[in-house]
Amino acid sequence: MNITLNHITKKYGDKTVLNIEQFDIKAGIVTGIIGPNGSGKSTLMKIIAGLDNEYTGALLIEGQKINNEIYKAMTLVFQKPYLINTDVYNNIAYPLKLRNIAADEIKSKTEKMIELLQLQEIMHQNARTLSGGEMQKVALARAIVFEPKLLLLDEPTSNIDPQTMQLMENAIRYINHINHTTVVLVTHNIRQLHRVCSQAVFMQEGKVAEQGSVSEILAKVNEDYTGDFLEQELSTKIK
Amino acid sequence: MDYIIQGFWEAIQLLLSFDKEIFGIILLTLYITIMSTFIATIIAVPLGILTGIKKFRFKKTLIRFLYTFMSMPPVIAGLFVYLILARRGPLGELELLFTPTAMIIAQVCLVAPIIMGITYNSTREKGQSIKQVAHTLGADKRQALALLLFELKADILAAIVSGFGRAISEVGAVMLVGGNIKGHTRVMTTSIAMLQSMGDYSQAIAIGLVLLALSFIINSILYHGQKVV
Repeated sequence: MNITLNHITKKYGDKTVLNIEQFDIKAGIVTGIIGPNGSGKSTLMKIIAGLDNEYTGALLIEGQKINNEIYKAMTLVFQKPYLINTDVYNNIAYPLKLRNIAADEIKSKTEKMIELLQLQEIMHQNARTLSGGEMQKVALARAIVFEPKLLLLDEPTSNIDPQTMQLMENAIRYINHINHTTVVLVTHNIRQLHRVCSQAVFMQEGKVAEQGSVSEILAKVNEDYTGDFLEQELSTKIK
Repeated sequence: MDYIIQGFWEAIQLLLSFDKEIFGIILLTLYITIMSTFIATIIAVPLGILTGIKKFRFKKTLIRFLYTFMSMPPVIAGLFVYLILARRGPLGELELLFTPTAMIIAQVCLVAPIIMGITYNSTREKGQSIKQVAHTLGADKRQALALLLFELKADILAAIVSGFGRAISEVGAVMLVGGNIKGHTRVMTTSIAMLQSMGDYSQAIAIGLVLLALSFIINSILYHGQKVV
């Protein structure tokens, strides 16, 4: 799914939190969004996901305004996911049940996700009793089980161990590869950006400050504000 | 102290004798309490959910009124219903005053704000996250509402338990609109109040014990249900 944003402005009172003149996200690739806290990344994700409609400007997906069909083909995973008060299996199966998919197909697809994210041991456990990392794995499994055309990820791997992170990155690559899902990943992890994304966007003060391939963005390490941010992030990771 | 022990002993004997009058009072109490809690639930749960998830003008004012009604003294509710149903009142022609129906109406006025208030608070707290999850996973409005109800069921049950507790223990309002008429509108709380003033402690204790036991049993069932869901 191609995403086009034209003159998108979002304000909270008098404060402008998002001001994007022109921004395109290409279909079928993984685009990483980086930037300091408060730069408008999460607001942008909510607008694309249709959770925030109080903005001005035009948001087009596949060249058209968002409609119910497009909504049903996209999903957003939050940094702190809300899991339904039932077991892991039924959490993952939930989007399939919403789409009235046949029971045997629900079973096979859900089991595939459980295997992909190695959730076998906790599949019958209530999702509310899981650790933070397990919750994030379940939320990702639930998001990709119905093979969305657009997957929005708002820092889905923050504060988790490297093994879980690797599993989740594999799952992101998997859905992108087999389904040509367009993935937009907000991250603070420069190494993850390098591993998972092919395009990158640097946001600052609600604007798209830099845009290009990941290597182009990372090559700007010694340049102006983008460089300052990346250097700071890299030094934090190295420490 | 002796008269209390004697009261307990006589109370047990009275219960074991299956006194017709006492069991009539118990059944009427259960009928009025269950009906009023049921009607209040039907009205208050949807209103609580709507208030929790929707933005509208004068919402803050409505919430202030809701909180006020949650702690409304029962006699005020009783007086209000009395004035409405009295012969000279707007609904006087219905001749509902001093009937179990009037008692149910008064209890609904007391219980509905409690159920609505608790439901509203739970919805306000969790509703936005639930709606967002439903939306991002492709649920339509009906499916989103179903998920909301599923996720809030324990909170709604807690609200019903609180409402039931208020209804079964209520005395002021039902006394005003029911009149404590023997065999017609006499319920357990009004009986205890009357028997205490008459000095008939054994009957008062007997009814008190049953009231306590009923409250314990029904709350245990609802509490168990809350844990299961």
